[in-house]
Amino acid sequence: MSGDPFRVASDALSGVGERVSDIARPFVRFLPVSGASVSTFGAFLSAETISATDDRAGRIDELQFDLGEGPCWDALNTRRPVLETDVANSAEWPAFTRAIQGENVGAIFAFPLSIGPLEIGAVDLYSDRPGSLTPEQQEQTVALSAIVSRILLRHAVAGAAPSPTSTFSRRLVHQATGMVLAQLDTTAEDAYLVIQARAFSDNRSMRDVAEDIIERRIRFSALPDEGAP
Amino acid sequence: MNEATRTELLFEAFATLADTLVAGYDVVELLQSLVDYCQELLEIDSAGILLANDRGELEVVASTSEANTLVEIMQLDADAGPCMLSFRTRAVVSVPDVDVDAERWPDFSATALAQGIHSVYAIPLRLRETTIGTLNLMRDSPGELNYQDVRAAQALADVATIGILQERTTRDAIAIRDQLQNALSSRVVIEQAKGVVAETGGISMDAAFARIRAHARSRQTPLSVVARQLVRGELRL
Repeated sequence: MSGDPFRVASDALSGVGERVSDIARPFVRFLPVSGASVSTFGAFLSAETISATDDRAGRIDELQFDLGEGPCWDALNTRRPVLETDVANSAEWPAFTRAIQGENVGAIFAFPLSIGPLEIGAVDLYSDRPGSLTPEQQEQTVALSAIVSRILLRHAVAGAAPSPTSTFSRRLVHQATGMVLAQLDTTAEDAYLVIQARAFSDNRSMRDVAEDIIERRIRFSALPDEGAP
Repeated sequence: MNEATRTELLFEAFATLADTLVAGYDVVELLQSLVDYCQELLEIDSAGILLANDRGELEVVASTSEANTLVEIMQLDADAGPCMLSFRTRAVVSVPDVDVDAERWPDFSATALAQGIHSVYAIPLRLRETTIGTLNLMRDSPGELNYQDVRAAQALADVATIGILQERTTRDAIAIRDQLQNALSSRVVIEQAKGVVAETGGISMDAAFARIRAHARSRQTPLSVVARQLVRGELRL
């Protein structure tokens, strides 16, 4: 049996572990694309290409960082996939489109990476020829992006925001986890990650952040700019 | 409380604890019932139970108030206090005046006194050579626990311990440890569920726990099961 390519890709992702430099590879395994890159940027993590399947994918990422425009920015800002099916005839991102003219790129797809209110970055996919992704392929890419978000976040906060060691501190963190999972309508695992990330970015202990959540001094909402046009 | 009411309540307590011990019972629910009965029956102000986890550290598994202040006191007690001593020595430890013993356990004493707790009575949960944790009784005034209360508390603690360790021999030491560890692990999901209900209901952790427990009781469902449903969003309270 040849196996479902998507399943193969998602299995490959769960095996990535600490080797985040390989994290873009699974996307090219099941999608009709020529290359992929995964990068972190946004309000929370510094701009960095974490993984690229080839040099061209890396350059597409870098150009968007340098120019401050491009599909990956739009994807993260809107928290929606951006599908540019024909780059050569695109009216979007004039500077970026001009800059990649020499790269012979037909289509570009960018998928946001985020967890609740946390901006993580984006997945950039490019194809030599113009074309789109089927709804099923988009769904699968979104599903894979969610896994990638968690791996990247865990990687970013690992060691920087140590888990609480005392029994009482853990109890507070569990209570706060429950509050955050209700605020974000998410899972306990993600809520815990959000608290951990907040502790990391504020340079505080998880227990301190948990106490602020329990005392209702900190509140999370899925999209800070929800409702904006 | 007159003697007749007290005796009736004691009978009810034993009957309820015995009921809880049927197959498939929930250890957290059993221990929660135990602390509730202690508060109702004895001249005390608060009570809590700590179980030893698989690293041999004591963790709060049930208490008469889910307010974090009380839980913190007991957890400090578990690190260095009468409760820890009772567990280590496997004997009753009575501290009739926390203030007098303050130097012995500075962290615990200071926090307890700040919350108005002046005397503590710790009973090991012990059956023969196995000690699984302690029952902690606390009062807002100094003084020894009266003789009747000491006997009643000891009897309640014994019933719960025997219940947990029932039909098990030392051969099953691993099974017992697993069961107790499960009880402590289910505390994780119970804490998360408290957070969920506190958030959605805009209420305190203590009130959230009371709501979860009332639901579990009315449906005759273990606390840990209700808690898991809340955390997974399959139930709203």
